[in-house]
Amino acid sequence: MTAGEVQHGEEDILARARMGDREAFGDLVGRYQDTVYTLALRLVGPDLAADVAQEALLRAWRALPRFRGEASFGTWLHRITVNTAWTLRKRARRHAVEPLETDVEDRGLLPERAGELAETRAGLRRALAALTPGQRAVVALRDVYGWSNAEPARGLGITEITAKVRLHRARLRLRTLLEGAR
Amino acid sequence: MRGLFCTLASRLPGEWPATAAAHRGNCLRCQAEAARDRTVRRGLAALADDVVPAPGGLEAAVLRGLGKQDAADPRRALVARIAARHAAAAGLAAATLVAVGAGLLRRHSRALG
Repeated sequence: MTAGEVQHGEEDILARARMGDREAFGDLVGRYQDTVYTLALRLVGPDLAADVAQEALLRAWRALPRFRGEASFGTWLHRITVNTAWTLRKRARRHAVEPLETDVEDRGLLPERAGELAETRAGLRRALAALTPGQRAVVALRDVYGWSNAEPARGLGITEITAKVRLHRARLRLRTLLEGAR
Repeated sequence: MRGLFCTLASRLPGEWPATAAAHRGNCLRCQAEAARDRTVRRGLAALADDVVPAPGGLEAAVLRGLGKQDAADPRRALVARIAARHAAAAGLAAATLVAVGAGLLRRHSRALG
């Protein structure tokens, strides 16, 4: 199946899910649950990630008739996940720094390169876990997921200046932590 | 002085102003800083490919929890929070204006009386 056919297939599933077809939405959940869960894990840590992913997917289902297709479904779902993560994190009052991902796959790499990259990535994940939740969210959205400068601010309900300051501090801290670990 | 400029430039958030960019073009220390920054960013961007499998029961739990589609705004909590923050800021600004106005009025009436 070509990428175009996959895309067309997803549009069809999406159209059916927007009309209230639960089975079609189940297909979408199957496709996106891992990326939603991974984003949640990066934003709030393992204790809350499954709750965030579940709530985000339920909110997406409720809101699907609003989805206009201006962004891709994945991007739309990511925005809902960020919003949900922030709401649940505030509700749970988990302001302490939490450990993040414990088991992340490095897929499709040569064994020797994979070992080196896995080590670098593990170091980065440990460093990310040491940031404050606010810094971690901004740096994850901007530098890991490639959101624009304005989008993390909108997604997290903070000003662009605050987002820029958090991003800058987060990058400095990451560098310090990574260089300290060597 | 040059070292101080480098330190300040590396601590400032946001885009580099033109003078700082020109300085960086000639400063090995700042170029090394920028290279270290790029390394971290490249590493972070590579993390986007890492996907953690969702817990086994997540899909089933979501499908069990599906209710009616009501086109609810998924950002409503955030929108409400921002609106509350704006309302609080507007209230504070209004209170400040009233207080300043009252003070000026009092001073003016004292000067007259």
